Amino acid sequence: MRPFLRQTLVVVRKELKDSSRDRRAIFAMIFGILIGPAVIAFMVDRLIDRERQAEQVRLPVVGAEHAPAFVDWLRAQDGVEVVAAPADPNRAVRDGSEDVVLVIADDFADRFRRVRAASVDVVSDRSREASRPKVTRVKELLTRYSSEIGALRLVARGVSPEVASTLKVNEIDVSTAQERAATILNFLGLFMLVSSLLGGMQLATDSTAGERERSSLEPLLVNPVPRAALVAGKWLAAAIASMVAVVFTMTFCILLLKRVLAPDIGIRVSIGPPQMVNMLIAALSICPLAAAVQACMGIYSRSFKEAQSYMGILTTIPVMAIAVVSSLYPLSSQPWMYAVPMLSQYMLVKSVIGGATPSVTAFVITTTVSLALTALLLVLMTRLFRSERIIFGR
Amino acid sequence: MIAAEQLEKRFGAITAVRGLSVRADDGAVTGLLGPNGAGKTTTLRMLYGVMSPDAGRISIDGVDAVKAPQQAQKRIGVLPDGYGLYPRLTAREHIRYFGELHGVTGPRLRARTQELIELLDMTGLADRRTSGFSHGERTKVALARALVHDPQNILLDEPTNGLDVMSTRTVRRIIRRLREDGRCVLFSSHVMQEVSALCDFVVVVAAGRVVGSGTPDELRAQTGRESLEDAFVALVGAPTEEELE
Repeated sequence: MRPFLRQTLVVVRKELKDSSRDRRAIFAMIFGILIGPAVIAFMVDRLIDRERQAEQVRLPVVGAEHAPAFVDWLRAQDGVEVVAAPADPNRAVRDGSEDVVLVIADDFADRFRRVRAASVDVVSDRSREASRPKVTRVKELLTRYSSEIGALRLVARGVSPEVASTLKVNEIDVSTAQERAATILNFLGLFMLVSSLLGGMQLATDSTAGERERSSLEPLLVNPVPRAALVAGKWLAAAIASMVAVVFTMTFCILLLKRVLAPDIGIRVSIGPPQMVNMLIAALSICPLAAAVQACMGIYSRSFKEAQSYMGILTTIPVMAIAVVSSLYPLSSQPWMYAVPMLSQYMLVKSVIGGATPSVTAFVITTTVSLALTALLLVLMTRLFRSERIIFGR
Repeated sequence: MIAAEQLEKRFGAITAVRGLSVRADDGAVTGLLGPNGAGKTTTLRMLYGVMSPDAGRISIDGVDAVKAPQQAQKRIGVLPDGYGLYPRLTAREHIRYFGELHGVTGPRLRARTQELIELLDMTGLADRRTSGFSHGERTKVALARALVHDPQNILLDEPTNGLDVMSTRTVRRIIRRLREDGRCVLFSSHVMQEVSALCDFVVVVAAGRVVGSGTPDELRAQTGRESLEDAFVALVGAPTEEELE
């Protein structure tokens, strides 16, 4: 084996061993790996919960005595439970103790008898996202009752109910549980990227800024090893840690979705081994670059603390940028996106999850850009590592 | 054998080393003696290849250390000024890491590591992580990893600084043993007892220059002083205690 490669691997082995005993590194890695599955589990749980909520409506009714026939009809509907209303319906909804309250007007019976529109109030809080499916269900019930009675009245007068309906609106909801699950799956790409940043972060910082801070850098540099081999070893160790984190994140998220959650919401997670391989190729291409940026910042920082604050910024910016870009371009993938690291990996993973096979060109551009930037950073790091100002502090 | 001629090193406006020449022979202990800030550490850093001189030549066993620092570094073992250890690695892992970086592997590395652990009385420490080590224990680890590749030349920057009596004795014992082995030992110090106890040859440095050199006896004779300390003070250019009174 060539001496350069052998020495690089000696450094890689040492840094990985050292880092595997570093509580902070282990914690950051575990956090990075588990945050994804935890959030996904939470989101799926909410999804299931909401569907159940819309089906099972507990409906407080004020003034039920004014419209016993109507209330009986409500009771007869599937999943509807009519209960006693709170004293102050508006307040009960505002403070969240009820999602929706139905208020039947005092003159309901009177107007109903005189064939006039009888009024019912639906008290709800529109700003509360969570109560929306329930409110919609209640409104649908009211519309149905209204049109059923209306039709009966027309029939009683010898008029076809169709006369009164100009439009026959059929609402076809194309959003299936499968698709709602897909929005959750899209987060998977983001989680893989976050764990690529968290996985190697502590190792990259500790082996560069940390090495200098505990003054173990000078004795290390006394060894007859080219600076480029030291840089390559430290970078490669961080990249390996980052890759391990990404692989685990993906595996855990998919296992969680397939084994535990999919049967619960009755959806099929159509991600098999070929998709997983594509996702890994896409996401792993960010790891060398993430490790290179982190190690470079570590070398450049004056102290371990300074390096850590850079790492915080480094982790936040791409995630926020992806959130912004994906809200600006919700569906389309613009060609330029494949030239932007992080964003390109995110787009690739997203389209694989969406069932598409991204073009080979997209993969090639993504990987080439990341590796080219990595190479550039490695050259820069080697330069920095040769500078006496950097080695002995400024 | 280490030979440096006319070394120069500037840091911005400050000239730390100006035209310094030093020579350390095999089978001898050479002391670089000087007050704090005289340029001892900078000189050693140039000799062991982590700083490059602005001018001058360095030869390690005939290898040009300025042109081929890594070739020269293969022939030296160094105990630098600040020697940080990795708190999560054991003493043995430290020695092995540096051995591997020098290309020592397999049974040879295992045997050499064990030999050094025994030589430095570290058997009880060898497989403990270094995070709780005392200063003396840390020095032993640093010394062992500096010697793992069995170097011909050994450079030590203030090796006994802050050590207790027992550890100081261990370090002295190692230095004498290296001399008996025919190695070239160069160490810096500002402690007179250290230099007089160990050195065959002394180079006195002040303000980046050599102000005197020779055996301790020669230095005393040159300056006409009875103790090495007075000789040193005279060479460095400060008034002696008697003159102060």
